Amino acid sequence: MQNEVSKNRKGQDSVIGKRINRVDGYEKVTGKAVYGDDIQLQGMLYAAIRYTDIPAGKITQIDVSEAEKLAGVKAIARFKDIPGQKRLGPIRADQYAIVDEEVFYTGDVIAVVAAEDKEIAHLAADLIKVEYQPIPGIFDPREAFQSDSRLIHPEYKSNIMVHYPLRKGSVEKGFEQSDQVIERDYKTGFQEHAYIEPESITAAPDPTSKGYKIYGSIQNPFTTRKVVALFMGLNLNQVNVFGSTLGGSFGGKDDIVNYMACRVALLAKMTGKPVKLTYSRENSIKESYKRHPYFLNYKVGFAENGKLNAMKIKIIADCGAYSSQTFFVTWRSVVQATGPYEIENVETDIYGVYTNNTYTAAFRGFGSPQIIFAQESLMDEIADICGISPVEIRQLNGYGQGSITASGQKLSEHKVSLNEVMITAMKKAEYEKKIEEFKLLNAENDRFAFGIGLSCSYRGCSLGAEGTDATSAIVSVQADGSVYVLTGLNENGQGMRTTFSQIAAEILGTKMEKIVFLEPQTASINDGGPTVASRGTITGGNAVILAAKEVKQRIFEVIKDRLKETDLEKTSWQNSIIKSKNNEIPFDEAAEIASKQGINLSAYGWWNAPDVSWDEETGQGNAYFTYVYGCQIAEIMVDKSTGKIDVLKVTAAHDVGKVINRLGAEGQITGGVMQGLGYAVLEDYNIQNGEVKSANLDEYLIPTIKDIQSIDPILVENEDKFGPFGAKSLGEPTLELTSAAINNAFKFATGNHSYEIPLTLEKVFLNKQLKKPSRQSEVAHTETCRVHSTKKQSPRLNNITTITPKNLDEALKLLSHEQFEILSGGTDVLIGLRMKSGEHKLLNIFDISELKGISISQNEIRIKGGTTFSQIISNSVIREHFPILVEACSKIGSTQIRNRATIAGNIVNAAPCADSYPPLLLYEAEFVLQSYHRTRTISAEDFIIKNYQTQIEANEILTEIILPVPAPQKYSQHYFQLGRRNALNITRLSLGIIMTFENDLISDCRLVSGSLFNKPKRLPEIEKMLYGEQLKAKMIEAIEQPLKEIIEKEIGGRWSSEYKIPVFLNLMRNGLNDIRKKKESQND
Amino acid sequence: MIEIKFKVNQVDYKLEVDDSSRLLDILREELGLTGTKEGCGIGECGACTVILNGDAVNSCLILAAQVDGAEIETVENLEKNETLSRLQQAFVENGAIQCGFCTPGMLMSAKALLTKNPHPTSAEIKDALEGNLCRCTGYVPIINSVLAVAK
Repeated sequence: MQNEVSKNRKGQDSVIGKRINRVDGYEKVTGKAVYGDDIQLQGMLYAAIRYTDIPAGKITQIDVSEAEKLAGVKAIARFKDIPGQKRLGPIRADQYAIVDEEVFYTGDVIAVVAAEDKEIAHLAADLIKVEYQPIPGIFDPREAFQSDSRLIHPEYKSNIMVHYPLRKGSVEKGFEQSDQVIERDYKTGFQEHAYIEPESITAAPDPTSKGYKIYGSIQNPFTTRKVVALFMGLNLNQVNVFGSTLGGSFGGKDDIVNYMACRVALLAKMTGKPVKLTYSRENSIKESYKRHPYFLNYKVGFAENGKLNAMKIKIIADCGAYSSQTFFVTWRSVVQATGPYEIENVETDIYGVYTNNTYTAAFRGFGSPQIIFAQESLMDEIADICGISPVEIRQLNGYGQGSITASGQKLSEHKVSLNEVMITAMKKAEYEKKIEEFKLLNAENDRFAFGIGLSCSYRGCSLGAEGTDATSAIVSVQADGSVYVLTGLNENGQGMRTTFSQIAAEILGTKMEKIVFLEPQTASINDGGPTVASRGTITGGNAVILAAKEVKQRIFEVIKDRLKETDLEKTSWQNSIIKSKNNEIPFDEAAEIASKQGINLSAYGWWNAPDVSWDEETGQGNAYFTYVYGCQIAEIMVDKSTGKIDVLKVTAAHDVGKVINRLGAEGQITGGVMQGLGYAVLEDYNIQNGEVKSANLDEYLIPTIKDIQSIDPILVENEDKFGPFGAKSLGEPTLELTSAAINNAFKFATGNHSYEIPLTLEKVFLNKQLKKPSRQSEVAHTETCRVHSTKKQSPRLNNITTITPKNLDEALKLLSHEQFEILSGGTDVLIGLRMKSGEHKLLNIFDISELKGISISQNEIRIKGGTTFSQIISNSVIREHFPILVEACSKIGSTQIRNRATIAGNIVNAAPCADSYPPLLLYEAEFVLQSYHRTRTISAEDFIIKNYQTQIEANEILTEIILPVPAPQKYSQHYFQLGRRNALNITRLSLGIIMTFENDLISDCRLVSGSLFNKPKRLPEIEKMLYGEQLKAKMIEAIEQPLKEIIEKEIGGRWSSEYKIPVFLNLMRNGLNDIRKKKESQND
Repeated sequence: MIEIKFKVNQVDYKLEVDDSSRLLDILREELGLTGTKEGCGIGECGACTVILNGDAVNSCLILAAQVDGAEIETVENLEKNETLSRLQQAFVENGAIQCGFCTPGMLMSAKALLTKNPHPTSAEIKDALEGNLCRCTGYVPIINSVLAVAK
């Protein structure tokens, strides 16, 4: 694995700007990297959480008696046990790691159990009983904003926790001078970080400090230390935090893991043992903070040529139950709310408001994706109104060198590259050419609309005036020339360790391989501030440079006589050789000499960011010491018949100052764009009346590998005088632009401006979000409620016994006298069992060989029930005769799911969205049901009664699926499956069609729907209408009204029918036209 | 409790485990093979992917009883004699890793694919990896890594 090396500006070998392999790559590809849950300590206990059952209310009683009685339970921590500060928060201490007598959101924690094993801890948590006096929750920040609204935290006298104003010029005057004034409302949703690693924290008593060691998935170890010390009533030096390898964070593993650390530290105190708390994905999604939803109102005045005169902005941010980082997040928004445009008159007000929703805090972008979505969509709309292009309006108003920002800052200390990034992106994306291409495509295509859109941003680097901005690094050269680097910042997966190792190697002129980046612990270096705000490279990189230069100077002092050179600047340090004009010394030897002379070869680098300023009253000041600029161009395809958006390509140009590691930098762009894509079209954290509906990653949808075709990362370099080697920031800009670019592409494609993300199927198709309404029982009651929750606090598999029969006969025999749940592939059954309490007896039939295989005879094909979908879709005979079955089955779950899931399992589960079932109806399959005493056959048509109910009896196994081989005539086929994304879908709707023609007339016609009714169903009435007819456009039109009536009659009252009915009619029209066109082209 | 006999990374094991244990739990907790990760517990994220009798599977959806007699391969089996496999190497060189939590599952899905189909197309790679979620890389470098090995 050779890293790339080339020449720097002095003509020396340099590692800066090259494609460098990650220094932690080896441990990560071998599975050796230690993440939070991989930590095992001697005598360790396991913790589990008891959450609140309601989002808002007073706790009237907590009964832990049954939980305490459980053998193996060692401690149950509650509010009363907290030894130190009971309420915590980065600015305002309004949050509880364990609540007292009131709950404020659905992720609040009432108690935490420590027990000898995980299962006991979970069981005990399930056994804790809580009684409440519910309070009607407030879930809309606009309601909470009203002065007469109930106060979520009455002690703060207002639900408005923060208000930042910004005043520049006079917007009234600006509006008066404008040719046009428009006002638009925008809305953005919650976004879940969805780091693939759920949180895990372990605390161990530390007899040396009489405090605790904390390990785990921690983004900001120094913050964790501070919070735990406060909570436990300890000094900072009694808490030592060791961050483990972090499985993604994106701003997300801050407050939540700090509170987890408090809970396990408390349990460690109560038990005297190490305690580990690892979250299930459900726990993680329920408790962890999200990106703030914003409600944005933009009023803008402009001249008819598009020149902006005035902008008045009012934003309400939903902070949820606790303030957390809201003070900082909303501040960035107020600075950047106008976007990178010079506007003389600006009035911005942003309010952070408490609600009873999940609290919101830091997430990559940090208050910028919301405003960029709004103001960059607005820019396109103004361009439209003025009849100029999106590029022209941005060039007319965009920042140039020396421009004055909304906060009155003159942009003169760095290269203002807004136009440069835009032009670069446009060229690379062939923007102008694509516009013409897409226009042509759209003119000739009714169903699919193509769109291209761009967005631009500027972004303040690092923390700016929001807080102290200094950081630390230690560079320590050992006697043999090897080097340690450590910093007060944290590797979150972004590649910081590699970047800092490169910087140290570059300064010292030694090889990357000689550098070891030490695992950070808070006891070994001073607080370097949080690893946030895309500040790692720019601040930490500078600290590493300072430290490395100090060591270099000290080494030089020792060897300068031998080098016969008095000026360090006149020496070259590269490839581990120190050279002067007259002599050279290997770096390792120089280190050894210096070390033997007792020279301190460890140096501390401390970098303090340049001064910034802010006036809280007027919102004026030099907010950040430097800025970065970016432009993204999105190309999309919209299926107008379903509302589905496919993102084809994103071109992303970002000015990073200077590239340190090209490989890492490009990865930041591709990753950030993908998160931005998810934010724009997929990610819909569904919380209703305080209850989280998108509980796991099957409902909170992040992009899969199939959800984009291409990302083109472009790194623009304009070295910054403050940055290490000129480098600035990249992590966050990559995400913040994508949603606006996609939204503008959406306008190009459809002609409609959209004012809200995510652009879900329903939002695109109906122009509104459509969500399953809460059940009456879930709407907050005002009566006292005693909750005997049987719900598992953390979904898991437990209380299972399995019996594995050797053969079918034994299986049937067992079923004949005992009740079992049948376990085959397990991909539905086990997911279901995670949620269920009680004992479960499973009959494991997956490996019974009599239930495997596909047999072929002249008239029929028999698929054994235990055959997996992978086996079915790779079978050549099935591929030949039953293409729709193959197509449908290949869309089930993923490769891993299809390798296990069996066809009988899918049939018997009888989900309305089961993908294999509609084709089985089309091909008129029959099922063989076998019990010990009899075998019977039932048609696919009759088998399912309704959703999740079938004709199978408890003692039966579905052993075979019989498919009659279709007559050797020409079938026309069509199948379409609609999902929200391009893989791992729960099917929203599907349609299958088989048709044969005799003398141009329809002689056989089968239509089947999936995910439409309460079970997959044929449409016999419509089939009958089509029999004997010619498949003409008129005929296709004629069936629409009757089809609509049939569907309406059955599902008209359902919440989803508003979307599903018209879309299914579209799918039918698309499908029949598809067959008609193919047929017509064959006839030609 | 049930007794199971199986082979993991060419080593035979005989274990007695709780019936509720998943293959994932057995690997991580009984055998200390913590390279295999849990991300969702419902077969959605693919972080727990291992190869079972030649097929990539989600080890969070397989119970102890279902691995009796099976042959399993985990990420720990890829490096031989302190040398990374070509696939592992390609992941490092193409920037396919950031936080690394999805990496073991990605590698196992990719390996299962390459064993059956040594020269997959981009589309085939996407089919094979569609059950592995990555939140850091945007997938582009991952596809490039597998393509690099497929050449």
